[in-house]
Amino acid sequence: MITSINTPLAIKTHGLCKQYGQSFAVNQLNLEIEAGQFYGLLGPNGAGKTTTIHMLTTMTVATSGEAWIAGQNIEEDPVATRGIVGLVFQDSALDRTMSIDENLQFAAALYNLTPMQANKRIDELLAVFGLQDQRNKKLLALSGGQRRAVDIARGVLHKPKVLFLDEPTIGLDLPNRRAIWRFVDRLRREEGMTIFLTTHYLEEAAACDHVDFIQQGLLQKGGTPTALVQQLAETILEIDTEQPQIIADQLSPLFGEPIQEDQQLSFKITASDVDFSALQKTLGDSVSAMQWRRPNLNDVYLWRFCAPDSTVEKQ
Amino acid sequence: MSWRPVKAVVGREMSKLFRQRARLISAMVRPMIWLLVIGSGVGSMLQSQQQEGYLTFLVPGILAMTLLFASLLSALTLVYDKEFGVMRMMMIAPIAHYWIVLSKLIAATLTAMVQALLLLFLFVLLGLISIKIALSLLPAAVLTAICCASIGGLIAVYSKSIDNFAVIMNFFIFPLFFLSGALYPVSQLPEFLRYIVLVNPFSYGVDLLKHAVPNVATDFSIWTDIAVLVVFSTSAILIACWQFSRESVHAPLFHRLGNK
Repeated sequence: MITSINTPLAIKTHGLCKQYGQSFAVNQLNLEIEAGQFYGLLGPNGAGKTTTIHMLTTMTVATSGEAWIAGQNIEEDPVATRGIVGLVFQDSALDRTMSIDENLQFAAALYNLTPMQANKRIDELLAVFGLQDQRNKKLLALSGGQRRAVDIARGVLHKPKVLFLDEPTIGLDLPNRRAIWRFVDRLRREEGMTIFLTTHYLEEAAACDHVDFIQQGLLQKGGTPTALVQQLAETILEIDTEQPQIIADQLSPLFGEPIQEDQQLSFKITASDVDFSALQKTLGDSVSAMQWRRPNLNDVYLWRFCAPDSTVEKQ
Repeated sequence: MSWRPVKAVVGREMSKLFRQRARLISAMVRPMIWLLVIGSGVGSMLQSQQQEGYLTFLVPGILAMTLLFASLLSALTLVYDKEFGVMRMMMIAPIAHYWIVLSKLIAATLTAMVQALLLLFLFVLLGLISIKIALSLLPAAVLTAICCASIGGLIAVYSKSIDNFAVIMNFFIFPLFFLSGALYPVSQLPEFLRYIVLVNPFSYGVDLLKHAVPNVATDFSIWTDIAVLVVFSTSAILIACWQFSRESVHAPLFHRLGNK
């Protein structure tokens, strides 16, 4: 076991487990994330993403295993660990009856920033988020996107080395989601912090340097989003049909078994020389729509978690 | 460990206290109603020379009631903060988790003392007590407030949500108050109730307050009162801090939120 604290790793875990009764929320997690990385952990609801974040931020104690944040063993000194991590919770951690300023001043004092340091930092962050004119507004008077921005500002007040974002854009509309990502990107560039992200919006994870997957508490190694997409397939073929079973039987020998969702079939095609126009003619009236396109991270996710069965993987 | 986070938590409670004027005013109205209604109602059953005595007897009891409500309810904001998420802001901060409990209990004690001071001022204005008595009630009030805050802290760390608020009122606040000797001398209670009064830590706060008012009969010695209050409060605070630091307290909270 390597426990050297000289490694530049922002996050390192070794056999990290969290057990609730008989079931493992997280099972034997081994992670090594380099400083400055934008890391994404993807997986279905209840897969163990939030539990992982809560263990790494000392919000819950691991049942077994060890973890280090920037060389700091988290179990040995949880208080010091909390000083170097930032966490934006899935649900807001702000007091809705207080103003932006009161919330951030309160959080800054909890991080032991002097009022002067706090004011300077709050000015800086509100400028990044474009909220400098709303400083004395009550949280209740803000939009969902603005509240989330304040939540993120709260998470980075103390310039953490590692920022954990647990579904940061959940429940936000597209413009707000994009705005949040612009802010996060700016924070990364300007402050060089490592970011650990969980999200359901996979197009957001495409910006990550590295993504891994987690299911039923078990980590499945991923890679860079680009490599994962390339490895998955050359083309994704989607067919809408009223006779999915017949089409599936007809095409499976060629392309492998598809993912079936109601009347839609989705094939992953690794060959690069398929003549789709000819295929369309062959299938004729039995399909109501057919499209072929480049795969994306959504497809990687779907084929990992919704693949028809293991026989597909053997082909 | 720096005091700034503690000051921040206490300051937040204080600014809430002074912002909610209605709450502060109602906290003054309640004891006055008790004093005037119970005082004159029950007093009217007494012979005329005893009537004034009963009002004086009620002064420490009513003061104790104010301390109990203010301190205990303020300590219960631990549960509110858990429910509304602000607790997460405190838990992710680089402070040991028991400091959250301690800060809240300091805030609860101060909240209770602000209300006690206002009430004593009213008592003096109404001519119920002299300034000298009011001043001598203060140290006893501080100990009682700490005792009530620690009871509140203990209830808060073992409560999962604020849904059981009515339960807390009915099963803790009212019995603590009625079975404490605040409204009647303990010696006149039936025997089985007297035992309950004896194990109620709040009784000793009430009794200590009675010691500060001349001509009011007390049930225990000053030193018994102080010893019980100090030992009880210290133990309750230690248990509350220990329980709060155990992860099982927050695990259900995060688990629930995580699975939303």
